[in-house]
Amino acid sequence: MSLIKWTEEDGGRIRLGLPSDLDLPMAQPLLDSLRAAFKASADVAVQADAVERISAACIQALVVAARDATDRGAAFVLAAPSEVLSEACEDLGLAAWLKQWSRA
Amino acid sequence: MDDLSRFKQTYFDESAELLAVAEAGLLRLAPGEIDMDEVNAIFRAVHSIKGGGGAFGFNDLVAFAHEFETVMDGVRNAEIPVTTQLVDTLIRANDVLARLLAHAADETDAPDGTTDETVAALRRFLGKAEAPAEEPPPAPAGTLYPDDEDDEAGIFGDALAAIQAARDDQPSPPISGPVPEGKVRWTIVFRPKAELLLSGNEPTYMLRALRRLGDAEVVCHLDKLPSLRDLDAELLHLSWTVTLLADPQIDRAQIDDVFEFVADDCDIRISAEAPPPAVIQAAEPLPAANLPEPAAPASAPAATAPATTSGSPGAAKAGDGAKRSNGSGTSGDHSGPTTHTIRVDLDKIDRLVNMVGEMVITQAMIAEHLRDLPPGQFQELLEGLESLAQHTRELRESVMSIRAQPVSSVFSRMPRLVRECAAATGKEVMLVTSGETTEVDKTVVENLVDPLTHMIRNSIDHGLEGPEERERIGKPRAGTVHLSAAHRSGRIVIEVTDDGRGINRAKVLSKAIEKGLVQPGATMSDEEIDHLIFLPGFSTADQVSNLSGRGVGMDVVRRNISSLGGRIGVYSTPGEGSRFVLSLPLTLAVLDGMVISVGEERFVLPLTNIVESLRPKPADLHGLVNKCDVMMARGEYVRLVHLHRLFGIPKAIDDATQGLVVLVETEDGSRLGLVVDEVLGQQQVVIKSLEANFRRLDGVAAATILGDGRVALILDVAGLREMSRHGAGNGNGAGGATPPSPSLPAPADRSDQRQRQTV
Repeated sequence: MSLIKWTEEDGGRIRLGLPSDLDLPMAQPLLDSLRAAFKASADVAVQADAVERISAACIQALVVAARDATDRGAAFVLAAPSEVLSEACEDLGLAAWLKQWSRA
Repeated sequence: MDDLSRFKQTYFDESAELLAVAEAGLLRLAPGEIDMDEVNAIFRAVHSIKGGGGAFGFNDLVAFAHEFETVMDGVRNAEIPVTTQLVDTLIRANDVLARLLAHAADETDAPDGTTDETVAALRRFLGKAEAPAEEPPPAPAGTLYPDDEDDEAGIFGDALAAIQAARDDQPSPPISGPVPEGKVRWTIVFRPKAELLLSGNEPTYMLRALRRLGDAEVVCHLDKLPSLRDLDAELLHLSWTVTLLADPQIDRAQIDDVFEFVADDCDIRISAEAPPPAVIQAAEPLPAANLPEPAAPASAPAATAPATTSGSPGAAKAGDGAKRSNGSGTSGDHSGPTTHTIRVDLDKIDRLVNMVGEMVITQAMIAEHLRDLPPGQFQELLEGLESLAQHTRELRESVMSIRAQPVSSVFSRMPRLVRECAAATGKEVMLVTSGETTEVDKTVVENLVDPLTHMIRNSIDHGLEGPEERERIGKPRAGTVHLSAAHRSGRIVIEVTDDGRGINRAKVLSKAIEKGLVQPGATMSDEEIDHLIFLPGFSTADQVSNLSGRGVGMDVVRRNISSLGGRIGVYSTPGEGSRFVLSLPLTLAVLDGMVISVGEERFVLPLTNIVESLRPKPADLHGLVNKCDVMMARGEYVRLVHLHRLFGIPKAIDDATQGLVVLVETEDGSRLGLVVDEVLGQQQVVIKSLEANFRRLDGVAAATILGDGRVALILDVAGLREMSRHGAGNGNGAGGATPPSPSLPAPADRSDQRQRQTV
């Protein structure tokens, strides 16, 4: 299992730094990282400013993570989404979703 | 386009067959002895009729078939016991289904209550209360196509997908509100299968492409998403409803195009709403409103016709509607109920092909015998035989043509591919096709899709330059990919030509050296370098992209083509482009071969493998110590394979300088010199499968019967190479140690056995 880069911040928040290329093969590492992060903390931030390419599979993983966070009362935020990520969400009809979670 | 009516006719033809299947099955169904295969066949038949009917919007029929199918489903799950009453009811249901189909075919409505009694009877078996029999569950479009097995029998195949894309479905909950003047509102429900992503498709691109067609509102449905724990990273659980407000110029075909390549991997509904008059109709979810709906405005000001531009299915429907009101129209060769085709089981055709093959052989045998007759006698017999030969040839060609199909079925899938590749690479690409009507054997057509897809992807991804670069070097911004097919000397030749930068030979060579495929410092001609791309292991992985590099490599393309008895070549001019040429046999039932003799035996070598034949001088031959014999031919060393040693054939010429060497080339480009006694001549032979009649043999592709009635084996050159390598590898582990002496113990013994078995 490979995980993407993460840092633990003060206050127990875990920050996952999304890589620039989130194509289909990256969906599994992303999903594993999200699972591991939620296991380790109830406050997860995903740093999304570096994303230059993203597949629907990775967006789906983020959507599921956000919903899961709501269900379990954990905090989740998608910080500083890149333009590419915003466009992809717009294309996929998830602009409102992104808006909600990027300012949460 | 007449496609819709043509598909409709196919649907009715095939439904009639399915009804017959169901009826036959039902008649065999008896209490106590239930054949589940039979039950499944009936279920599938009904299910397929339902699926196809849904695609055409025959809602009554679909609703009734649904009831029928539900009961059949109960039977196949052993929830409903088979009783005489049940069988009677099911047979009646089959009859009702036939009546509904007849009404649908006549474009008349079935009288009210046609289905009531039977539906009620069917429901009794489900243990349901007799709810009013009239409104069963025709409701939301989604339930009409509940799964991916709409066409369980699989008989409607691509046609169904095409219809589905070609017709307007019931709008599934559209965002209400009037459609603005001069606009058409399209509702596209896009439900991909979970595996969509695995085939390399990306919904983002499709939805983006839709958004470019007009004002789009994309609603993403998250209801099927599993929990974080259960999510499989690469499976897709999202689906979308897109409401697109587009100009009337945007036609149905443009929307269809977006999904053309994922039609099998998703469920797509497309419906259109035009301004006022049609809006009222669209509000009523009635079948009648369905079909002509998008075309309705055509009867109003012609310019506002929404989905009717450029000969789209919509246009056909507009004409259709007009025809209906005027009685039957004058045009439309597909519109009438009379079709001049029959569906024939492929097995029957193959038997026919086989029999004709036998006849060709018999005729050749007779000709062989008559050759010995004294000249000048039996003139009439000889003339008769001559015309028999001619008729036989014609008969063979006619029979082969039954299996022939135009390559258009493959070519028509390419525009979408090009569009997708262009979008993914940011290049501008124009696809030109020609020769789509060229016909070739069904099997060949079916196996062309993958190689062509890869070659076109390759051309766009690696061959064509980006628009800016093209402009800079004085080329038109849009690159051209030309796909053509033509018959040439008894074969079909398919070419994929692009006007891109051509093969980067320096890069190809350095990569080949890097991968150890070529020795550093080797001198190679341009042509040889170009052909390196076909070598197994020559990957372009570092060059890209999610387009090529993901699927098959050119070596696989080459292997696919050669498994069809074809060859592939590449011609490239730097800066001007590349041309890939595929040459394939028109049929897989006969083969152009060269008959050779080794000792008393005859073999056939496929002509496509043969480079040349020659008699070497003693100086050209070299025996490598502990290795095979090699021969210097045109500046390169070629391994010699003595067929008689390989197959243990006695009384054959061992000395290549006394016999002949036939230089052959395998699909990966490596050459081999086969030592034979004599080359007897070229002949078209009828291929007989060895696997089907005996078993697979190394070095042998198939068998045939020669004119003198003898069985001859058709050699498999790649297999021969393997055999000779293994034979040579027997002596020591270092690979290649059998002395080039006639002793050759192990392989000869082994092949002796083989010989006894086969000849």
